[in-house]
Amino acid sequence: MPFLIESFSFFYSSKRKYFKEIFIKGTLFVSAIFAIVVIFFIIFFLFKEGHPIFENIGLWNFLSGKEWNPTGDPPSYGAFSLILGTLLVTSGAMIISVPLGFGSAIFISEIAPPKIRSIIKSGVEILAGIPSVVYGFFGLTVLTDWLRVTFDKPSGECWLAGSILLGIMALPTIISVSEDAISSVPMEYKEASLSLGATKWQTISKVIVPSALSGITAAIILGIGRAIGETMAVMMVTGNAAIIPKPITNVFSPIRTITGTLGIEMGEVAYGSTHYHALFGLALILFAIVLIVNMIANVILGKLKEKHMPALKKKKRKMLSQKTMWRVKRSIYALCSLTLMWLLVVQFGIEISVLIISIILCCYLISKKISAKTSQRVAFGIVALSTIIVLFILGIILYYIIANGARALSWEFLSQYPLDSGRAGGIYPAIIGTLYLVGGAILIALPIGIGAAIYLTEYTKEGLLTKIIRTGIEALNGTPSIVFGLFGFAFLVLYLNLGVSLLAGQITLALMILPTIIRTTEESLKSVPQSMREASLALGATKWQTVRKVVLPPAMPGIITGTILSIGRAAGETAPIMFTAVVFSQRFLPTSPLEPVMALPYHLFVLTTSVPGAEQNAYGTALVLLLLVICLYIIAIMIRNHYRKMRKW
Amino acid sequence: MSENHYVIETVDLNVWYGESHVLKDLCMKVMRNKVTALMGPSGCGKSTLIRCFNRMNDIINNCRIKGKVLFNGKDIYNPNTDVVTIRKKIGMVFQKPNPLPKSIYENVAYGPRVHGVNDRETLDKIVEKSLKSAALWDEVKDRLEDSAMSLSGGQQQRLCIARALAIEPEVILMDEPCSALDPIATTKIENLINDLKKKYTVVIVTHNMQQAARVSDYTGFLYLGQLIEFGPTKQIFENPQEELTEKYITGRFG
Repeated sequence: MPFLIESFSFFYSSKRKYFKEIFIKGTLFVSAIFAIVVIFFIIFFLFKEGHPIFENIGLWNFLSGKEWNPTGDPPSYGAFSLILGTLLVTSGAMIISVPLGFGSAIFISEIAPPKIRSIIKSGVEILAGIPSVVYGFFGLTVLTDWLRVTFDKPSGECWLAGSILLGIMALPTIISVSEDAISSVPMEYKEASLSLGATKWQTISKVIVPSALSGITAAIILGIGRAIGETMAVMMVTGNAAIIPKPITNVFSPIRTITGTLGIEMGEVAYGSTHYHALFGLALILFAIVLIVNMIANVILGKLKEKHMPALKKKKRKMLSQKTMWRVKRSIYALCSLTLMWLLVVQFGIEISVLIISIILCCYLISKKISAKTSQRVAFGIVALSTIIVLFILGIILYYIIANGARALSWEFLSQYPLDSGRAGGIYPAIIGTLYLVGGAILIALPIGIGAAIYLTEYTKEGLLTKIIRTGIEALNGTPSIVFGLFGFAFLVLYLNLGVSLLAGQITLALMILPTIIRTTEESLKSVPQSMREASLALGATKWQTVRKVVLPPAMPGIITGTILSIGRAAGETAPIMFTAVVFSQRFLPTSPLEPVMALPYHLFVLTTSVPGAEQNAYGTALVLLLLVICLYIIAIMIRNHYRKMRKW
Repeated sequence: MSENHYVIETVDLNVWYGESHVLKDLCMKVMRNKVTALMGPSGCGKSTLIRCFNRMNDIINNCRIKGKVLFNGKDIYNPNTDVVTIRKKIGMVFQKPNPLPKSIYENVAYGPRVHGVNDRETLDKIVEKSLKSAALWDEVKDRLEDSAMSLSGGQQQRLCIARALAIEPEVILMDEPCSALDPIATTKIENLINDLKKKYTVVIVTHNMQQAARVSDYTGFLYLGQLIEFGPTKQIFENPQEELTEKYITGRFG
């Protein structure tokens, strides 16, 4: 009975298909909730290792204690100066990076011609790609030296150096997020304003920037989050004295941040000691601060997305009456200017402050008098100048490292083992170690990340579950790298007893790059038009067949780009592997994943901070690391641009 | 007729977007204090043409222009011409109502403000006068501080007209001002156009022939980037000279 056989085989194959679909959906689901599990584990382990200190000396004493001296007798664990240090360095960084970033964002999105725009954007992307340890190296060898000589101080390692460096590092975040916000202001607003005879600058300052304000705020908050969580660069240039600057505005005072403390002391602390618990308590505080900061930014950005959604009917919103608005505005202005004046007087003394204030007043009066055209010219000049400064900074960093590093570079340098604590010989094992670490991290993170992204875009509707998963991914994305390092140390190295090993480092790095992979994959999956999925499903293809044969192929370039960017990030990270995977010197390459390795960023860190006289090789290492990361970034950017041009929809 | 009767004049105007040639050797004249309608099938270049009149095409990246557009006898594409002054004298209303994300009051006051009027009382007067001219005053006078986004589509479009009137232009360009509106709101705008021509010169782009017939004094018919016919509206609709115009009007294509 051929009919029966046919129907049986049909039934059989459809049943098999059915189970296959269920199995795939299940696997994808597991990878999607993986991020949540990880963030839960991080919080759990930070708390597990950190809570004894709160019980021991009390949460309030820990937070408000002024002295941090764990090796003293008796030891004291007051985190106040460290928290204050973090806040001071971060606010200094923002004073530098907000005007520069904001100006550059305006220039890039509204003023620069398309060709120049893409060049500047690539420059900003490279700035984002420079590993933090390379920033730290530049800061320690060039920046602090420059500060010491210019301002005639005994040492250049200070608050100011940390703020400048962090400001530079926060720039790419601030520029790219606020540029996105400015570019997404509807064209209609711009047309409306221009058609009324407003100048370009009037349009920018009165219509475009106010409309993009919430996005720009989010950009700044994200920049703050990045600055607070940064470890290596800060630790290398701030001098790390756990003191409160005297007076509080003394930018040349050495200072110590939370991250710096973790980076310095975690390596030498005894497991289970009060000091150990105190460090985890610090990490918990750091984690909480960064989490809150990032959450605020994400809420603002989420609101922004809703606002620009055309389908949603706009809610009727009663604005505050003009008078109250003016009153509120005026009091905010008054408050800000009073604070600024007070800071000026503290910093420079009465006479100079009066001079500065009168100059500002004059400028203000002049700006009221000059024509719209002149003010446009001045504004464009300032905005262009800030962009030039950003590019100039990038140029200087690249110049110093390339010019000095090129001298150290040779075949022997790349292929030999280090000699004399890294002063001589090469960095072969560090290169190999970095490749091992990064390769392993990608192998772990890629399947999980792509699975999670497929689950989120293809297999669920937006709802409570996806919201929770996304929050988890965002939290993971904002987690400072040093916190990953501590988590890896507590969970992988100690709890799972992997020891300081290649495997522990690979897993830690994998967790860190997971959110980037999920996000970029999700973006490229979403850019595949819905009609293509419908076409496939309408032909009777299963969900998974549709995903595999229709959705994934066109999304591939995007996924590859995201992967390469994560490789770049993983290759340059130091903090996560510092306590989990690396040793400074090793005579042989690791033979099993349970052995420790050498790695480029850590090698550079040790050469710079602990090995006097290794400058040449440090420059060489920095150059190799920089080239490795930048080449990856350039490849990623090229793939992206190439496929963007090819895309037909 | 003396030259002074013409407000805007184009001489051999050619426009390209990248490689595509959108307007070809276009010559036309816009009469003062009249309503001039531009009609034609979609993609014929009518919106491009009207956007040439106040140089709004400047903000489109790959747009290239050859030829002259004369405003009161002066070429607005002359490099020495100040684009801001041109746009102050030639206002524009767009296809989709585009109020700024500000209050109703601030929307109307925006133009005068950017041109240097900061005195509160003067602004109040301008706002009231403009909203009255745009036949919107009675509907919004009690809620000037509300967001402009809270108005209906038709009200938003009249607000945009009031905003254009607030800087007292000579010419008002309207790019399909009713295409996003319902019939009642459309009637209101059309009546408004009739009132406006007493003081202003109006150029309106429309894909709706009946609208052109109802509101305009002169009509131009564009097809594939060329001005096929231009003349008094009555003549165009009752006695077209060109076969293409007749075909379009009688609905045999387009």
